Amino acid sequence: MSTLAAVVGIGQTQYKTRRGDVSIAGLVREAAVNALQDAGLEWDDIEAVILGKAPDMFEGVIMPESYLTDALGCNGKPMLRVHTAGSVGGSTALVAASHVQSGSFKRVLTVTFEKQSESNAMWALSTPQPFSVHLNAGAGGYFAPIIREYMRRSGAPRDVGIKVAVKDRLHGARNPLAHLQLPNITMQEVEESMMLWDPLRFLEACPSSDGACAMVIAAEELVHESPKPPAWIRGVAMRSEPTMYAGRDEVNPQAGRDCAADVYRQAGITDPRRDLDCAEVYVPFSWYEPMWLENLGFAAQGEGWKLTMAGATSLDEGGDIPWNCSGGVLSSNPIGASGMIRFAEAARQVRGDAGAHQVPGAKLALGHAYGGGAQFFAMWVVGADKP
Amino acid sequence: MSAADILSQDFELGFTYTRSTGPIVGRFLTGLRDRQIFGIRASDGRVIVPPMEYDPDTAEALSEFVQVAEQGAIVSWCWVAQPRAAHPLDEPFAWAMIRLDGADVPMIHCVAAPAEASLATGARVQAVWAPETRGFISDISHFELAGGGN
Repeated sequence: MSTLAAVVGIGQTQYKTRRGDVSIAGLVREAAVNALQDAGLEWDDIEAVILGKAPDMFEGVIMPESYLTDALGCNGKPMLRVHTAGSVGGSTALVAASHVQSGSFKRVLTVTFEKQSESNAMWALSTPQPFSVHLNAGAGGYFAPIIREYMRRSGAPRDVGIKVAVKDRLHGARNPLAHLQLPNITMQEVEESMMLWDPLRFLEACPSSDGACAMVIAAEELVHESPKPPAWIRGVAMRSEPTMYAGRDEVNPQAGRDCAADVYRQAGITDPRRDLDCAEVYVPFSWYEPMWLENLGFAAQGEGWKLTMAGATSLDEGGDIPWNCSGGVLSSNPIGASGMIRFAEAARQVRGDAGAHQVPGAKLALGHAYGGGAQFFAMWVVGADKP
Repeated sequence: MSAADILSQDFELGFTYTRSTGPIVGRFLTGLRDRQIFGIRASDGRVIVPPMEYDPDTAEALSEFVQVAEQGAIVSWCWVAQPRAAHPLDEPFAWAMIRLDGADVPMIHCVAAPAEASLATGARVQAVWAPETRGFISDISHFELAGGGN
């Protein structure tokens, strides 16, 4: 990677249960226009467009990228669709970044979306196939046994997930774009919500959201043309591994550890808890915070839950390493966009542009996404300072 | 030792979805329900039917609706001599690019005609509405040759 690149514009929609007022094109358009405005740019300033979303079967629109070219100003420009399951929002940002870092393009628009109100994400996620038993599990049913294994190994108390659910919703209440606005949520309320996939309760799961997120990524020589502070891309990494093979550690996947080690090495991070100011990490189910705290090296194995319970990841409790200040996936989940929202929110923090959920003085932040059976990982580190 | 059978089995997969049309396509479809056809004016002045949400050249959002006629002219066509079950008409017909009066681009639809020889570029056609219109593109049942056409 020879060319330095930075995020110079960020645009999001408000995340809601249903955006019946707009088409899918209208939804992605809203985020893209917001990103262009944030970057002080016009359509003609963009050289290529990178689009990401979850499986086509979710909305039932096959190859939506071809239908969205006019909405995203792609006429006469290269446009590329990315897909890596739930991590797609992150990997889309990384593909866009690589288009600039490689020197191929000077300014790229990248957009991700999901319109869950028009989709069938629950059942289209795992389709019945002949010769196999259809589990009808959904994502929560798939991850719950893995969480149970984490609880067994770590000896974590049973209310860690409840604490994360409350913490991220209190963060979300600071973010006007967040779907769930639950400023008065309590541990008791979470505990009394319906048990969906033991140990995951209703309020420990992400919502289903409509929404889109976009970023403009520019090469170093054009960064000054946008008015707001840039978020310099300091490290980028993707890893994957098979969903199922004997010996795979689903609680602490090797691909996640390798991906983190790679991105930290590029960014010069040796102790993520000390060196980073905050992180936006893909936590669609509450218990994934302590699990990823360990997988990403913020805590030793078996110790992640202690950070959570001590308030280390809470903005409201003055934690030293706030996680998901935007409210995270637990507060908004337009699936295809959710990873990019993590990457964009990390960038907002180091741009000093995160409003009421700003971590004071944040200079270095991690954006993280995972997808599939926790098998695809995408991460970047962004910084206020040019490397 | 016999070779193992290699098994295969057909299966069907289906899901239910919702679709929101947004303000531009939605207005076009609402117009059809009222038996009116709307296009939209692009940045270069052309009237595009059916309307697009964003300008094909500048990518700017479009908003100026223009009502066009239910009559127009055939730009090109393709004769279907033996309609099949999935086709919109039972009798031989043409798929045609039709430029409606007041529009600058053609749209594709089907034209009922007595014979291929009765079709020509420039032939005049007239929309035939479905008995009941509900805001679907199929509210225009088909086109037929207009009286006095060449």
